[in-house]
Amino acid sequence: MNLYSYILRRLLYVIPVLLGVCLIVFVIFNVVAPDPAFLLLGRHATLQQIADLHHELGMDRPFLIQYLDIVKSAFTFDFGYSWSSKQQIWEMFKAGAIPSLSITLPLFMLVNFSAISIALLVAFYRGKLIDKIVLIVSIAMMSIPSLAYILFGQWFFAYKLGWFEISGFDPSIPGFIPYVILPILLYVMISIGPDTRFYRAIILDEVYQDYVRTARAKGVSELSVMFKHVLKNAMIPILTYVIIQIPFLLLGLLLAESFFSIPGLGGMVLKAINTSDFPVIKAMTILSALGFIIFGIITDVLYTVVDPRMRLK
Amino acid sequence: MKMRNILLTVMSTTLLIFASCTKKQDTNERVLNLVSITEIKGYDPIMANDLYSGREISKIYEGLLNYHWLKVPYELQPNLAEAMPEASKDGLTYTFKIRPGIKFQDDIAFPEGKGREVLASDFVYSIKRLADSKNQAEGWWVLDGKLKGLNEWRDKNAKLPAANYDEEVEGVKATDKYTIQFKLKKVFPQFLYGLAMPYTYVVAKEAVDKYGKEFINHPVGTGPYVLPKFDQGKRIIYTKNPTFREKFYPSDSSPELKHLLADAGKRLPLVDKIIVNVMIESQPAWLKLNKGEIDTYSIPKDNFATAVKDNKLSPELINKGLALSITPMLDLTYTAFNYDNKLFQNTKLRKAMYMAFDEAKSNELFYNNTAFPAQSVIPPGIAGNIKGYINPFKGPNLEGAKKMLAEAGYPDGKGLPEITYDIADSTTSRQMAEFFQKQMEQIGIKIKVQASPWPEFLAKQKKRSLQMFGAAWGADYPDAENFLQLLYGPNASPGANSSNYNNPQFNKDFEAAVAMQDSPERTARYEKLNKFLAEDVVVMFNNHRQSYSLTQGWLRNYHYSDLNLDYVQYLNLDTAKKAELLKKF
Amino acid sequence: MAATAVTNTVTNQSKSLWRHAWSTIIGNRLSCIALIIVVFYFTLALLTFMGVIAGDWGKEIGPSYSPPSAEYIFGTDIFGRSVFLKMIKGAETAIAIGLATSAITIVIGTILGMIAGYFGGIIDELIVWFYTTISAIPGIMLLVAIAFIMGKGTSTVFISLGITSWVGLCRILRGEVMRHKDREYSQAASALGAGSFRKLFKHILPNITHVIIINFSLTFEMAIKSEVILSYLGLGVQGRPSWGTMIDDSKLELSRGVWWQLAAATFAMFFIVLAFNVLGDALRDALDPKLKGK
Repeated sequence: MNLYSYILRRLLYVIPVLLGVCLIVFVIFNVVAPDPAFLLLGRHATLQQIADLHHELGMDRPFLIQYLDIVKSAFTFDFGYSWSSKQQIWEMFKAGAIPSLSITLPLFMLVNFSAISIALLVAFYRGKLIDKIVLIVSIAMMSIPSLAYILFGQWFFAYKLGWFEISGFDPSIPGFIPYVILPILLYVMISIGPDTRFYRAIILDEVYQDYVRTARAKGVSELSVMFKHVLKNAMIPILTYVIIQIPFLLLGLLLAESFFSIPGLGGMVLKAINTSDFPVIKAMTILSALGFIIFGIITDVLYTVVDPRMRLK
Repeated sequence: MKMRNILLTVMSTTLLIFASCTKKQDTNERVLNLVSITEIKGYDPIMANDLYSGREISKIYEGLLNYHWLKVPYELQPNLAEAMPEASKDGLTYTFKIRPGIKFQDDIAFPEGKGREVLASDFVYSIKRLADSKNQAEGWWVLDGKLKGLNEWRDKNAKLPAANYDEEVEGVKATDKYTIQFKLKKVFPQFLYGLAMPYTYVVAKEAVDKYGKEFINHPVGTGPYVLPKFDQGKRIIYTKNPTFREKFYPSDSSPELKHLLADAGKRLPLVDKIIVNVMIESQPAWLKLNKGEIDTYSIPKDNFATAVKDNKLSPELINKGLALSITPMLDLTYTAFNYDNKLFQNTKLRKAMYMAFDEAKSNELFYNNTAFPAQSVIPPGIAGNIKGYINPFKGPNLEGAKKMLAEAGYPDGKGLPEITYDIADSTTSRQMAEFFQKQMEQIGIKIKVQASPWPEFLAKQKKRSLQMFGAAWGADYPDAENFLQLLYGPNASPGANSSNYNNPQFNKDFEAAVAMQDSPERTARYEKLNKFLAEDVVVMFNNHRQSYSLTQGWLRNYHYSDLNLDYVQYLNLDTAKKAELLKKF
Repeated sequence: MAATAVTNTVTNQSKSLWRHAWSTIIGNRLSCIALIIVVFYFTLALLTFMGVIAGDWGKEIGPSYSPPSAEYIFGTDIFGRSVFLKMIKGAETAIAIGLATSAITIVIGTILGMIAGYFGGIIDELIVWFYTTISAIPGIMLLVAIAFIMGKGTSTVFISLGITSWVGLCRILRGEVMRHKDREYSQAASALGAGSFRKLFKHILPNITHVIIINFSLTFEMAIKSEVILSYLGLGVQGRPSWGTMIDDSKLELSRGVWWQLAAATFAMFFIVLAFNVLGDALRDALDPKLKGK
């Protein structure tokens, strides 16, 4: 099978998966979820209003039609309007993407860069004291809830020391920088632990491979084994892991965005969850699933280009 | 390795450079920095069913009536109307004259972008828009069953693809360019309060048609401020409406608010620009207040202990020029029984539970001792509240509770099934439920706490499947009717009477009282109804909360208010004082 | 007879593998300590479950929000209850959630993974489609959705965690079974007329248990950490103390300077997460050095 037909086949596979995602979304939100009418009509609701609203939202139509609606929205990106803010969801998504990315993108680069560096270091000194210290420190950092970082960081660095803005956002290009530094730094602390552990595991998998042993037996220095052989070969799983994170960058940071008043998608999702804004939850689920599928294909294809044997599987 | 060190150094220096560039405030700008603690839902008046959206909408839109800024208790006054309406003798017809020359703000929805004059027909249109079932307006209850022919118009047009706004409705008519006539189905003086609520604010048909679904983001009103477009951001910036009519700061006030008369007679609004920061979490807002970046904020529950002692501010805050203002809110928190459940028709059981509950302790744990223990349903500040009245069944009175429980037929709780107490999950309501559980345990009543996500809780409540639950009610308008209706039979779920209490005698007396014009006699009837509910322990009346808000030394004319949604136009700023005080921050 | 012989050698082989794993863990000081910590937490959980200790965690022992002191080791909470006892009782909740979640994960993951790997064809396609779909949906969305449907409570926590975390195991097992089903021992078994299910469970399963064990330790740790996140979102455990609700409480209390609930819960969580990490690494090194760190 050549590369192009492989890619084509992978692309076609998007369709059944997307249909499946729509099916799950449909079952959860259109069939079994609690009736949203009470929430939307407020505290003085009447039965007549509830019936009217069901009609207006199309909840009285046959299930098949409702399902097809969701499928259609997945292909046209027309997700309708939010229940709580009455805004067009696609517009909300576009408006929230930039603020979210202005935090997650630098965060993503910073975390991965430092985590891979630290992982290489501890893999090099595996079993030594530094390895153990990094293990304990990263787990300690993971155990502290992210909320504690945010509350403390905001209080100490922004309020007490006055180094950063306490909260807020400025959509202009250099203007956003003072607002995003603190959340980025805090989230570097939060996520560096698990990432370091993960990359260390990947790198160690390579360290134990036969070819490494051979290289060492041939008298290649440990340092060049690490960089020339191990890192080169570990690059594929590392890249896969890095790429698959990309679609989640759009989801933003759930907690940080509401603490730092950043008008991003994370806050939007959190708000949708809190207000049971089903159309927004549905749209974000479908969009992130789509992102996940597409980036999944990209990693697969990348794999195949690097290692053509994979295609046969 | 070296490379990495260099990189790290470069990165950390860059960070520090960025870090030092936090913004300085320009103290000369006449701008207010306010906070909204929830997201703004948008700017369509007919959707404004929460306080916070109502406050934003009221910066831009206006209605016929509003509340006097400096009167306690609340007093209606004409806003876009020229005077308070003439009522017919039978109390069924209200005729309003509107002020001539009021203009909608300039907007591209109008020819040549110039806002046109507001006419009586605009009010008729806005009322019908609220009634149009296609709009699913959250404020429909204000009009439901009140105006002649309006319900019929709504039902008829529900079936059509688009409602016919040209069809005349008897209950709401423009009799000439500046005159509006409302005809009620039955006497209901509280109707006037509805005309001070955002739902009935005047909107322009041109703007609704031009923006369609996007109308919610393009407010076009007559009010003191304008907002070109709402972009869902967390920072909303309003500027003065250049075509705002001549409106002046009031020169009369109640004695309590005399100190706010310094700006009497000045043209409104007093400040050029308003920035509203949407801040859902309390910590950042509290920190910003302490840094002088926000002009006023309520003290968060958990910061209370450090900020306030014996109703006095901490010296640190006083030194910064902050002032504390304490205002009772028009609200009630209560614990409801669902009367669909036969168990709760046993009055003695309800009394026993109420007597076992330690309100003082709950006030201390959850409200920092700032709330007033509620004795009945009507809060202080509204006619019908009985001054100095103490509910004989208010706890804690464990001995009495135990005796009462035995009389109810369940000595020491024996024979009483486990009662489910439902909460919509949040940290505080979980703790409150645990407290309730412990309180009931003292007299042998077993409570099971069940938490659900908010929509699920609401659905259960509206479908009448809860047993007991905590609830709160904030006034829509300052009339006892708004609180007594919580227990009016026909308002049972999905209406506001979520305890589904239905007592024919109470219903009848309630109907008779609310149809009366404001008078000492009506107040006497309200008091009677209020006392009846109290002594029957219809719900467990918990408390009436108070607002504890802090204001910066440079903010002028501020006082907390539940109902003056348009308060921002009255606020003033002392820029010299701000520059001086900010040095202390 | 041949079949039993084959099985015997296989089980012997895996037995020696286990013995090897055991001796590696015991031999290494760090993993030995980790094992002791895990055993300690389990014992604690068992004891609180039986009511031997921390049975009276709900009792008021002092004023509300007393800071840690000699009298109140980790201070008291809003109702004046001992934070220390809540922390101990929280271990029970954590272990229960960890066990239940891992159990669900293992049952779903193993069954689907083995069926897919063994039967292949359309069944495989379907199962692969199913897990690709599930894994495409962000975990947090799925968790929230399940909580919507099931309401709140401890069972919701582990069911939703279980349902969202079996995909990894399923994917690995499917691959493993594919490799194993063509091995001689399993072909020998089918030559002797062993049915599919007998072959799957009696012959293939014992050879892939190490994958399940490693996954167990990962899922367990993940479940404990996720409980905290769910509690943030208001979807956590109800009616009894858990580390998640303790941290949830402290998100408001921190601003009044009450840090001890957070500290106690973090402290308790730190050791068990650390222990599971070390143990997981040790198990992986011992049982299957080539297994990818999934």
